[in-house]
Amino acid sequence: MRDTADILAAIRSRFPRVENRPVDPAPSLVVEPEKLREHLLFLRDQLSFHHLVFLTALDRPAESELELVYRLFSYESRLSVMVRFRVPRDAGRVPTVSDLFRTAEWHERETAELFGLEFTGHPDPRRLLLPDDLEGYPLRKDFTHPNMPRLPEVTST
Amino acid sequence: MSDPTTPTGGRASPATAQASAGTSDEFLLNVGPQHPATHGVLRVVVTMDGEVVKDLQPHLGYVHRGLEKLFENRTYEQIIPFTDRTDYLSAIANNWAYVMAVEKLLGMEVPKKVEYIRVLMAELNRINSHLLWLAAYGLDMGAFTPFLYAFRDREEINTMIEEASGGRLTTNYFRIGGFIHDLPPAFFPRLKKFLGRFGRAVDELDTLLVENAIFVARTRGVGIISRERAISYGMSGPCLRASDAPLDLRREAPYSIYGSLEFEIPAGRNGDTWDRSWVRIEEMRQSLRILRQAMDGFPEGEHRVRAPRNIEPPAGEVYSAVEGPRGEVGFYVVSDGTRKPYRVKMRKPSFSNFSALPEIMRGLKIADLVAVMGSLDLVVPEIDR
Amino acid sequence: METFLYKLFYDTGALIDGWHAAANAAGAARGWPPLVVDILFQLGWAVAAALFLALNALFIIWFERKVAAKMQLRRGPNRVGPFGLLQTLADTGKLLIKEDIIPTAADRPVFRAAPFVVLAATVLLFVVLPFGKGLIPADLNIGVVYFLAISGISVIGILSGGWASNNKYSLMGGMRSAAQIVSYEVPGVLVVLSVAMLAGSLKMGDIVRAQPSYGYALLQPVGFILFLIASNAEINRGPFDLPEADSELVSGFVTEYSAMRFAFFFLAEYTNLFLAGAFATTLFLGGWRGPLLPPVVWFLLKSYIVVFVLIWIRWTFPRLRVDHLMEFSWKVLLPLALLNLLVTAVLVKVL
Repeated sequence: MRDTADILAAIRSRFPRVENRPVDPAPSLVVEPEKLREHLLFLRDQLSFHHLVFLTALDRPAESELELVYRLFSYESRLSVMVRFRVPRDAGRVPTVSDLFRTAEWHERETAELFGLEFTGHPDPRRLLLPDDLEGYPLRKDFTHPNMPRLPEVTST
Repeated sequence: MSDPTTPTGGRASPATAQASAGTSDEFLLNVGPQHPATHGVLRVVVTMDGEVVKDLQPHLGYVHRGLEKLFENRTYEQIIPFTDRTDYLSAIANNWAYVMAVEKLLGMEVPKKVEYIRVLMAELNRINSHLLWLAAYGLDMGAFTPFLYAFRDREEINTMIEEASGGRLTTNYFRIGGFIHDLPPAFFPRLKKFLGRFGRAVDELDTLLVENAIFVARTRGVGIISRERAISYGMSGPCLRASDAPLDLRREAPYSIYGSLEFEIPAGRNGDTWDRSWVRIEEMRQSLRILRQAMDGFPEGEHRVRAPRNIEPPAGEVYSAVEGPRGEVGFYVVSDGTRKPYRVKMRKPSFSNFSALPEIMRGLKIADLVAVMGSLDLVVPEIDR
Repeated sequence: METFLYKLFYDTGALIDGWHAAANAAGAARGWPPLVVDILFQLGWAVAAALFLALNALFIIWFERKVAAKMQLRRGPNRVGPFGLLQTLADTGKLLIKEDIIPTAADRPVFRAAPFVVLAATVLLFVVLPFGKGLIPADLNIGVVYFLAISGISVIGILSGGWASNNKYSLMGGMRSAAQIVSYEVPGVLVVLSVAMLAGSLKMGDIVRAQPSYGYALLQPVGFILFLIASNAEINRGPFDLPEADSELVSGFVTEYSAMRFAFFFLAEYTNLFLAGAFATTLFLGGWRGPLLPPVVWFLLKSYIVVFVLIWIRWTFPRLRVDHLMEFSWKVLLPLALLNLLVTAVLVKVL
């Protein structure tokens, strides 16, 4: 079992962009989407990051992109890392990792339907939580629906 | 359950069969969304070959309320009551994970007394949740009496929690920075009485249900998942620990004062249904230990930090997780410097635990479905959010 | 001490025989064939049995609910009538006024007949129950065999009910129930055989008289326990109620039945509960024998003690899965029953 310093050094040598987002102590590894699978495989098998805590997306309408974030945790070293990258907002495609981490199957289905992107190679790309007839991608910032009222703006109380 | 006074014995509407699919002996069995077992609104379509389950497809979304979208339009304080409702049986754990995330974003440190109150509440909540699991699981298996014994014990805990927070189930108790009110004076006498009594109550429930020969016969060796597969499925909590994996966030990623408390992490050996049940019983006993230590070491001090009137954390992000009764409850909060969060992602244990069900059930008999699903201790609203 | 009151309570059988003889004489005097008087008397027995059946069902359902409630830290019915005694009456009234639904594709004649077949099997068993000294409707010299044979008829009713409902799950529930009853009869029969061997007769009355004052339970402890378990399974109760509970998550063979038809199935079930207690009392606990109290009272008391034990068992244990049920009967109970029979046979010969 490698110690923390070793692991961090291994990460730094392998990943070109390692950033520290405030306030999260876990380093953010910015990768290219095409290399996602081999990076995650490396993290999982070489550095024992077996636990994919969650994966989700953030809508970045200003840059017309979706930012994908994957959080991994290692029970052996007790370290966390965030793996992130951006894809275009329209027709974003991300390789699936559901065969590397079985939990990703459902996380990817949920992210796909809420943000509107495709996980290529996913074994079961059906909707998970949303009704089949809902149009649009709810978690995008520009999503509207006739039934969705906006609350009045919050002022100082 | 045979209640002679109603035609279906007081149960919800029965499952319906659909026409044959695939090969000659295969047929589909639809379980839910109204379900005799009290897991929530859940639909599972089982493809069976005779008695054996060949495939299992969950259909979710019956309780999807769009909470993550909702949170983007609420202030940080307004979100707290919603977190109770995601998993109403572990409201405290959900409160805590969220409040801890916001406090980290603000760089706020809470007084020791607050940490102790949080631990007391969380462990009481853990016992509460496990008692309800035991009650409902016994009911599923045909043992009606543990339900009532467990609820009698829950009443005591509910009274304590209600006196402190005002709510029995969805407590809305934690605040960013501490608590609005200190613990009421009646809390510790009640807790002392409870601690004196509950050890024997756990033993009684253990003997009545989990050690019962019929229960063991129905659960031992059933629904096994290996440690590697469990971790791959993102399982956590008792479901993971039953598979020979003594991993608990209170040890692996300690938060609050857990680093200084003494308790054991019970782990099963085989990863079967019985182990998942046994782990929960043991956890109740360990929670008693933690409660005693927290009560004995309870400090003086402030029960809150004066938080600013408007909570506006600087731009940043954080993931904060606690060990809830079902597993890892986490909130990934992204702040953009305004009063409302940019994104809140809720990481819920039942979501991952449930995703392993198809693999666990493949090859098992349909009669085991109830036993296995009950042992996963699912709460559907937290799967759907 | 041959007063009428004494005879009424303590020697009812002889009293009734006296009336029968007197009626025969009166009938003969009027020129009626003896058959007519006999039929009238049997009708009287039938009416008495029906009355007892109804009152017993009323009481035993209340008893179960109260006992279960007390074990579960509750009170049970306590509003309708003193101590909730009239609750069952109210429930029956409700069931009577419910709509009787028959599935469209069900086999109507069989669907209608099934509850009555089950009920008939139950009622017919009252014929050989020794309620008191000489107080048996008919002390058949194959009494025990009759009891075992008739109790098997209920299987026909259950299977018909399951099949006629035109519902896959009712059918499966019915088949499971039938399989369970048939499987558990075998060890039951072997135990009863052991008792008959000890008593040297198949007549119910003889078996009661042949027992020592403490009953056969102490001489045949294994047999007694086996018999209780087998009876429990025969009446589809307690840990053995899978066919009517969670079988494939439906209510088993009783799913499609509503209102009074449903009520008949459950009337039969609760009466069977009493009969299990009564039969156990007759074979193992000394029947109506006991000091001081009238025989009928002893009989009912002992029967209800066994009923209490069966209720206790039901509310304590979770359900057995169907394959465990079968395994338990064939791999555990049957060998034990055979062993019991062997040991009894040897000891009867030797001692």
